[in-house]
Amino acid sequence: MDITLKAEHDPMTTDTTAIRLHEETNSRRLRFRGKGEPLALIGALIVLISIFSILNPRFATLVNLQNILSQASLPLIIGVGATFVILIGSIDLSVEGVMGAAGVVFVLLSANSRGGHDLGIWAWVAAIAIGIALGAANGLILTRIKLPSFIVTFGMWFIGLGIATILYGTDALPSLTNDALTTWVSHIAFLFPNVVWLAAALLIVATLVLRFTIFGRATLAIGNNEEIARSNGMPVNKYKVVIFIIAGGMSALAGILAAMQLGAVSNNVGSGYLFITIPAVVIGGTALSGGKGGMLQTALGVLLLTVLNNGLVLAGVSPDYQSALSGAILVAAIVAAAWSQRGRLRIAK
Amino acid sequence: MTSTIIATEPAVDITKQSRARLAHRAGKFWRAGGPAVIFVAMFLVVAILTPAFLGGGGFTIVASSAAPILLVALGQALVLNIGSIDLSNASITLLGAILLALTLGPLGAVSPLVVLLMVTLFGAVNGVIVAFAQVPSFALTLGTFGIFQAAALVVSGATTVYVSQNAGLITPLYTSAVAGIPLTFVLGVVAAALAWFMLRFTRVGQGMTAIGKNESGAIFSAVRTRKLKIVAYSLSGFMAGLAGITIIAQAGSASSTGLGSDLLLPGIAAAIFGGTSISGGVTNPLNVIFGALTVALVPIATAVIGIAAQAQNLVYGIIIILIVALTLTRSRNAIIK
Repeated sequence: MDITLKAEHDPMTTDTTAIRLHEETNSRRLRFRGKGEPLALIGALIVLISIFSILNPRFATLVNLQNILSQASLPLIIGVGATFVILIGSIDLSVEGVMGAAGVVFVLLSANSRGGHDLGIWAWVAAIAIGIALGAANGLILTRIKLPSFIVTFGMWFIGLGIATILYGTDALPSLTNDALTTWVSHIAFLFPNVVWLAAALLIVATLVLRFTIFGRATLAIGNNEEIARSNGMPVNKYKVVIFIIAGGMSALAGILAAMQLGAVSNNVGSGYLFITIPAVVIGGTALSGGKGGMLQTALGVLLLTVLNNGLVLAGVSPDYQSALSGAILVAAIVAAAWSQRGRLRIAK
Repeated sequence: MTSTIIATEPAVDITKQSRARLAHRAGKFWRAGGPAVIFVAMFLVVAILTPAFLGGGGFTIVASSAAPILLVALGQALVLNIGSIDLSNASITLLGAILLALTLGPLGAVSPLVVLLMVTLFGAVNGVIVAFAQVPSFALTLGTFGIFQAAALVVSGATTVYVSQNAGLITPLYTSAVAGIPLTFVLGVVAAALAWFMLRFTRVGQGMTAIGKNESGAIFSAVRTRKLKIVAYSLSGFMAGLAGITIIAQAGSASSTGLGSDLLLPGIAAAIFGGTSISGGVTNPLNVIFGALTVALVPIATAVIGIAAQAQNLVYGIIIILIVALTLTRSRNAIIK
């Protein structure tokens, strides 16, 4: 009654009330928006873990936890690089090619069944350098020749595979002969395998870089609005090249570790990793349009997919169904994330 | 003194203008004919280096391996044209081929129609989710890619499914030819011509291009964007189904790892080689024909010329980047992601 009276006398008052109420609702929504998604993911993870523990008592054991974490390590390492790239709104499809090139270089330069040189630590350096070079090529072609990252990295995927295939040649499968290398990945130090600690350390460093350094904040700013980042004087192109170099280096490291895990290498050592990593990053809540997301979300996404795959195997589900379940979860996750933001004028590509 | 300056300035302007006009015209010609020029040039290089290639039915080989790529690429080009992407279409092709191999025996001539209806519905599901849930198409179709892939694996029982009877209904598509060009490729060319006609002369096609160029603008101009997105994805599914039919025509069998299991990336590459922009609004289905021919030619050409098989991937990757660098139209201040 009071309000309607006011409205008759002074329409402005009711207008501002409506706006104020609207803003309050908005700010309340905003406060929870950042936390809602990770909480939902953790909830989903807990539900999955409980169900799988009931289905198979072997699921909730230390040995299986070690298994799950070491399965998650390589996608996580690649995911750290991929998250940086996706945060600036680009995409890196070259993961599998870079892994192949780095893996082959690493094995051929270490003590292997084909003979040749054993460069020791320099094999690591050379393999990572290949990844960095391919990543730098991605970044430079994106920023100088201005080709979309989708196409550049798509081409670089085949270039990496090509380098791997040429170096691999036609001889027999080269396997690592140094046992110290082949057992390092799965060697258990303080409860968990080495590779898990390595992935965790990289995750922590990347989280800190993204949160507390100028480079990290610039990454988010570029993804949020590149034009504004540029007009504020950020060296956007330089940051983009650095980000692709990081992604290339991470893929190369993953290639080395994959070769060490297998104890041997072929050019297809990275096969399948791209289509684990990108869904994991997206399920974690990092937006493909850039500017929104983070490292810990990616870690949650990787964990969710790994727990799902591992649990399904232990529950006796045929592996044939696995890609369908991962796919269905990806679809459900993105639909749930986008549902509240639907609008007639909203544009989603 | 001053008069000379006044006299020269407009003269400079005119040469500048005519040069700009010339550059514009050259650009226009390149956009219209670039993909064809690139394919013909590559084909001629191969033919000159290895004359036996032409005598040995070189074009027939290229055309028959280009047919499924072309059909998948046409669907992809229609989806790219609205500014989205369809990563699931190649897995729909495979699922369609497997369903066709399973049903051709019992259902006979009805089977291709049933399969085409099903794959169109699969595409429409993608379209409905993209249009109404407003999710990024890259992530969505990556998810449905996994679902269709698993479906193909489960439906086929993870083995090769052979066509039991009535194979004669489909195989003539591959075995008979018009002027040395297999019918499967002719099917692709007809589909490309129809797609071109649709984009150029119908309201549906113009609306799709409008979505790709400026979606907000399209919405405000009362273009029924959601309906058109569903149509674009349905057509992508339909084209993928046609590609599945060409696979059965060629192989007489289908499996989740056999012929056609790696069509996704060649399909995208062919659409892009054909001058399709991945940000939307620019595509010419007739050029996609040459894009698909180029994609099919690269591995055959490297083998024919005598480049080691190991170098094929490397050459392929470099060519992708080079061709796009040559054919991409860029505006100076555009933000490239």
